[in-house]
Amino acid sequence: MFRQSRPPDPDQDLITRAQQGDTRAFDALILKYGDKLFGLVYHMTSHKEDTHDLLQEIFARAYQSLSKFRGNSTFYTWIYQIAVNLTLNFLKKRKRRTTLSLNDLESSVQLDPALIDSAHEANPERQTALNELQIKLNEAMKKLSDPHRMVVTMFDIQGMSHVEIAKVLKASEGTIRSRLHYAHLQLQSALQDSWEERF
Amino acid sequence: MKPSIEQIVNQLALKREGRPEEGYWQDFLCEFHHRQRKQAVTGSRYSAMISQFSSWFGSLGPSKWAYGTGVAYAALTVGFILTPRSVERENLPSSPVKYQVVPAPGLPLEQLDRLDLSPSTQGNIGEQIF
Repeated sequence: MFRQSRPPDPDQDLITRAQQGDTRAFDALILKYGDKLFGLVYHMTSHKEDTHDLLQEIFARAYQSLSKFRGNSTFYTWIYQIAVNLTLNFLKKRKRRTTLSLNDLESSVQLDPALIDSAHEANPERQTALNELQIKLNEAMKKLSDPHRMVVTMFDIQGMSHVEIAKVLKASEGTIRSRLHYAHLQLQSALQDSWEERF
Repeated sequence: MKPSIEQIVNQLALKREGRPEEGYWQDFLCEFHHRQRKQAVTGSRYSAMISQFSSWFGSLGPSKWAYGTGVAYAALTVGFILTPRSVERENLPSSPVKYQVVPAPGLPLEQLDRLDLSPSTQGNIGEQIF
């Protein structure tokens, strides 16, 4: 039996330098994956301050555990796993701590420059309708369970593949597909009243 | 009207390019280094161990209570086995007995006299007379 060879981790050089104590190398890793992790955590928490604190914790945990990183997976998968675990733990604690009203969470539209649809910027009516739809979509997302929202965030928003998500969540591809399908149906059902033909 | 899955996916994809505001990562890195330095000075290995343990314990899910109960039970059992019992017995305080023996009141003689103890009332062996 031959072991399937994996392509080398593109971050290997930065990881080795960071493991040797080069803080600038770790900074480079933060800058490389920061935006992606920000998106993941923000769409899960819907709270800017919580996202910031969680990201600090995620990178601190990664920095402390970097010496134990043996390269069994890519750095990208490894840091995503840390982010997912810490975020899910945080959400569990937050639910226990307080029943956070949906209104307390940000609707995120004003923070998301991508939501300004450049094709319809000249049409303020259309833009307003799109913004309203995004708010409804965010509300529908918040109603999903944490594992389902996680899969939707990683697949639909972050553009990760089923295989990558399965690796990060340590689940089978079938489970990921099934969660995604169920989440889409939930979103479809939640949006049916606010959906207009022009979208 | 019900949206199609594709329409929902398209709407979700609009969020893909969302990023924090300009300058966010510079401030983030400053804070990150500040926190790391602070932890290096004040935080010891002990606190890191505690936080790792608590996060590990938290990540165990519902089974953590089973583990916790098991560990507590094992600790109690070991404690019970290792506790010397003889010491406990020797240390018992000796208190004097405070009870007085009171003689039971004897049957009055008149009652004894009334009893018919003659051989005719005793009956034979194995015979009950009512």
